[in-house]
Amino acid sequence: MEVTITQQENNTVLVQFDGRLDTPSSQEVSQRLTPVEESASGTIILDCEKLSYISSSGLRVFLTLRKAAAMKGGKIIVRNINDNIRSVFMMTGFLNLFEIE
Amino acid sequence: MKNKLKFEERFKLNSMLTALLLVIVAALTLEATSLIQYYYAQRGIKEEASRRAESQLENTKLKIDGVLDQVEAIIRSNVRLTQWGLDHLDSLDMITSIIVRENPVVSGSTIALVPGYSRKYPLFSPYTYLDPETGEILSRSLATKEYDYPTKEWFTKAIETDKGYWSEPYIDVGGGEMLMTTYSVPVRDGEGNVAAVLTADISLDWLTNYVGGNKVYPDAFNLVISRAGEIMVCPVETLVMRKTIQEASRDFEDQDKVVAITQSMLNGESGAAEIRGKTSNSHVYFAPVERTGWSMSIVIPEKEIYGEIKNTRRLVEILQLLGLLMLVLILSFAAKSQNQFKTLSENKEKMERELEIARNIQMAMIPKTFPPFPDRPELDMAAAILPAREVGGDLYDYFIRNDKLFFCIGDVSGKGVPASLVMAMTRSLFRSVAGHEDSPATIVSNMNDSMAEMNENNMFVTFFCGILDLENGHLEYCNAGHNPPLILADTKMKLDTIPNLPLGIMAGMDYQEQEADLRFDDSLFLYTDGLTEAENINHELFGEERMSKILSKRRNAESHLKVIEEAIKDFVGEAPQSDDLTMLFIHYTKAREGYSAHHLALDNDIRQIPRLSGFLQAIFEEKHLDEATSMGINLALEEAVTNVMNYAYPEGTIGDVKIDVRIDGNKMEFMVSDNGKEFDPTERPAPKLDVSVEERPIGGLGIHLIRSIMDDVKYRRESGKNILTMTKIIS
Repeated sequence: MEVTITQQENNTVLVQFDGRLDTPSSQEVSQRLTPVEESASGTIILDCEKLSYISSSGLRVFLTLRKAAAMKGGKIIVRNINDNIRSVFMMTGFLNLFEIE
Repeated sequence: MKNKLKFEERFKLNSMLTALLLVIVAALTLEATSLIQYYYAQRGIKEEASRRAESQLENTKLKIDGVLDQVEAIIRSNVRLTQWGLDHLDSLDMITSIIVRENPVVSGSTIALVPGYSRKYPLFSPYTYLDPETGEILSRSLATKEYDYPTKEWFTKAIETDKGYWSEPYIDVGGGEMLMTTYSVPVRDGEGNVAAVLTADISLDWLTNYVGGNKVYPDAFNLVISRAGEIMVCPVETLVMRKTIQEASRDFEDQDKVVAITQSMLNGESGAAEIRGKTSNSHVYFAPVERTGWSMSIVIPEKEIYGEIKNTRRLVEILQLLGLLMLVLILSFAAKSQNQFKTLSENKEKMERELEIARNIQMAMIPKTFPPFPDRPELDMAAAILPAREVGGDLYDYFIRNDKLFFCIGDVSGKGVPASLVMAMTRSLFRSVAGHEDSPATIVSNMNDSMAEMNENNMFVTFFCGILDLENGHLEYCNAGHNPPLILADTKMKLDTIPNLPLGIMAGMDYQEQEADLRFDDSLFLYTDGLTEAENINHELFGEERMSKILSKRRNAESHLKVIEEAIKDFVGEAPQSDDLTMLFIHYTKAREGYSAHHLALDNDIRQIPRLSGFLQAIFEEKHLDEATSMGINLALEEAVTNVMNYAYPEGTIGDVKIDVRIDGNKMEFMVSDNGKEFDPTERPAPKLDVSVEERPIGGLGIHLIRSIMDDVKYRRESGKNILTMTKIIS
């Protein structure tokens, strides 16, 4: 699992996932994203173009960011999710929680 | 045959020679033992005799010395008075009578003047003595011409030696014929010249009584001789003072020896010697009485000393002889029974050969080719009989008819040929009845009826009969008193069985049938009680627990039996196998097209999750599953496994999570099991999906995902395990 975090203009952070966000990798990713929570007042773009798999632990990482944004008045944009992950989002009601692009 | 006879003759000869040799060796050993014992006993007894003799001699000497001391003291104490009396010769007889009167031991006393001492009397010797017959004290003069005292030994020796002198013993002819001795001392006058000799006579009667009466052995005798060899004390009274020891010794057989001993005695030596005699040898012990020059001796006949031990030895010899006789008898019996034993063991060998043939025939009846149905991939089977030493009554059998496996296992009561015959009959019956009947209960009932009718020996058979539908794993069975088989499915458990009676007890019994479903990859393990009741040398039973531990779902039939056989061998060790041990393992395995089973075991560690994905990926590819379904199933299983790792196993505990996948056509069954604490994920409430972000809980999504993805989710707690079974029907 590769995570690339890029600070962009307009208080925007781009997070790019590459690989499987399963239980073990979610722990790692969660730590990597802790500083990103600081930017939750702005916009966080989660680019899932290369995310092939997500488990509930991965969803939890997404949800944690989402809660931080809600607290700080920022917003989360989930971009480029594939159909499989979309169905997981659907099953868990995440489609309603995130702005999906 | 000829050779054999020769061999037998030689064998007999050999055993006779061996027996003879044995008797001789035993006899020699016994004799040697007895001789050694005899030698030491003899030595001890001889030492004892010499101790006794020496102490007797010592006591006698002390007694004699006591008397002599007493007499010498009496005389010494009267020397002064006598010196005084030399100037008053008339009073000398008064002195002697005082000595006699006041000292009972003294029987006579005189004061004899040296001739010429008195001018008045050339010889003067007043003598006072005790009349032995009347007890009166009388006096007379010894100064007579006839007696001529200056020539007497008691007088001359006292003067000559100028000190006290004990005379040779003598017989007092005057009165009583007593053995006497006289002690005499010279007495000097005022100028220091020897003027007289003072004497005291004592009787030696006490010596005769004392020495003669104290015998160390009843037949021993004591001898006292004087300086000159005169016999003073002797059991033969005629010899006393009549013969010298030298003369008497001529009558002895071993004369040289006797003379030598006599000489030693006369020389005042002490010692011991043996004398050979006509009828018996004698042992002589001797010691001197220095003061008087006497010598005492004790003569003990050898038979007296060794009499008892010789008797004992005779008894021992008789006993030895009896013992040897018994040995001979025993040996001859043994030789006879050895021959009998040989015949017996030949018979036994013959019987064993026949039993072995019987066993071979019996074993030939049982199917033993494995795998038994190579063209039936749905069946992985193995069976084994570990026979006890003798033929037994265990059996199993199986065959396939109409795509159904008919199988049975049984254990005939009892052992040996009768049991094996019943076993053969049971197996034939099973073949013939099951050949046309399709219900286990009917098969068992029919068999029971036939067997009960024929059963005159009240033998019975515990029997399990099953019919497994190879199409769908449906099992119908009937248990006639046999150990319930084990099912190795998700867990190990005993097949539920109704306690029907064993076969052959009563005709017309109703046998009840039961059914169960073997799922794909389930196994059935049938066994006889020879397995659970296998004993080790400590008489511990192998038991169901050990058996159950060994059984594992993840081995094929053949390796299962191998593992069990090895475990049994290890457990039993040197203990003899008392009962047949029979096992039948039926593994309902990869069957028709579309069936498969897969297993994975993970450690309790979420870092193992990628292994799960890899494992599943292989299955998905094999089944050509689409990506969405694959990912969904993967997700559901990851959630299930993560739940176990997070909740069933407290942090830090070690355990494993097993994943069993069974695919039957379009039906996929996933089973996740663990040994952790009870945890039922299905009890978790479904998360509210329509609440705001703030209200959304972070957790609780896992089971929801599983439910959403799978078509059926079931949890059960069984045998200390959490078992979550998820089914997915693939469209």
